[in-house]
Amino acid sequence: MTEADFDVEYVERDDRSARVLIRGLTPAFANGIRRAMIADVPTFSIDTVRFVENSSVMFDEMIGLRLGLVPLTTPLDEFEIGDTVTLALDVEGPATAYSGDIESAEAMVEPADENVPIVELKEGQRLEFEADAVLEAGKEHAKHQGGVSVGYRHLQRVSVEGDRGEFDDEEPRILRGVIETPEGEVVATDEFGNDLSERYPGKEVRVEDVPGAFVFHIETDGSFTVEELLLRAIDSIEERADELRTKVAV
Amino acid sequence: MELRVIEKTDTELRIEIAGEDHTFMNVLKGALLEADDVAAATYDMNPEQSGGQTEPVLTVKAESGDPLDAVEAAATSITDRTDALRDAVTAA
Amino acid sequence: MMIPVRCFTCGNVVGEHWEEFKERAREGEEDPGEVLDDLGVNRHCCRRMLVSHRDLVDVVSPYQ
Repeated sequence: MTEADFDVEYVERDDRSARVLIRGLTPAFANGIRRAMIADVPTFSIDTVRFVENSSVMFDEMIGLRLGLVPLTTPLDEFEIGDTVTLALDVEGPATAYSGDIESAEAMVEPADENVPIVELKEGQRLEFEADAVLEAGKEHAKHQGGVSVGYRHLQRVSVEGDRGEFDDEEPRILRGVIETPEGEVVATDEFGNDLSERYPGKEVRVEDVPGAFVFHIETDGSFTVEELLLRAIDSIEERADELRTKVAV
Repeated sequence: MELRVIEKTDTELRIEIAGEDHTFMNVLKGALLEADDVAAATYDMNPEQSGGQTEPVLTVKAESGDPLDAVEAAATSITDRTDALRDAVTAA
Repeated sequence: MMIPVRCFTCGNVVGEHWEEFKERAREGEEDPGEVLDDLGVNRHCCRRMLVSHRDLVDVVSPYQ
């Protein structure tokens, strides 16, 4: 089998959002990782709510839906799929109940964002509930997706073919993604306004996809970091390959 | 993942891999097609639009040798790659 | 009624930016587009969630 030789480079990197250039991937493998990041890496999300009191202007179901969408931090080393964590909230109006008011029985599993308004409470209104968060995969319900707008593009190699004709119009050449310049630099197109004629004025340029080089755009909802999401997706493919090998060998 | 062999000859194999979807099947197919001793490999998520059969069916035709061995080798090549990729991601 | 927690299209969490957006762009004088850029709400699917939202709690609360 071919010797796997990968090269990974972060073009942009943050805790919650990143662009990662991976060289040496096959299209099938790139797509497998992308799909695994979206549908197979589990996150905690509120699944059951027991209302003690809800005298707000919204129905129990509406609040339940909103609670499910609040991202919860998910330490995947500590939990398995199907595990539950109990959370509770008690807010009395006049006040707004925020995701940050939700108290968790488990310090590691708590709302990733504190400022998401759940419901605004007026004088005399109260919201009190207890809820169970379940660790599940994105293919069970979209609220369990850890990755947000995960996708990839080919790395695009730009080569300068020569000068543009003296009387040719300077036309914009719009390009999105990440390019590899003739000098071998890796540059995101938004650095030059997504317009190649800005970076190479008066030049005739050619753009081609680099085979096997994929630029992943990865964002997470705050459940874990981008690197964690990527590594877990790789793990999930590996687990399945391992399982297949042991089952075939029998 | 539940395996069920549907048809098996010396060089051909049809096997149901229950519980998987395109995420893994396409990676597996890709790995199989890279092997020298595999003549053909494909998978079908909804074979012949048949009512009931919704699990993917993998078909492998080996040039030489047992197609089951080819599947095993493909699984190994996937884990080799995931290992290398994990190291590369951690190092980056 | 309340600002949706996430963007309908991409699933990005937009609810957390609402109060600042309301304060600066609705009640304040700032340009909504610039506030959104500042908040890091970049995609137009997420931006429309904030731009087109209207709080209705005050409107419906008398009818409890």
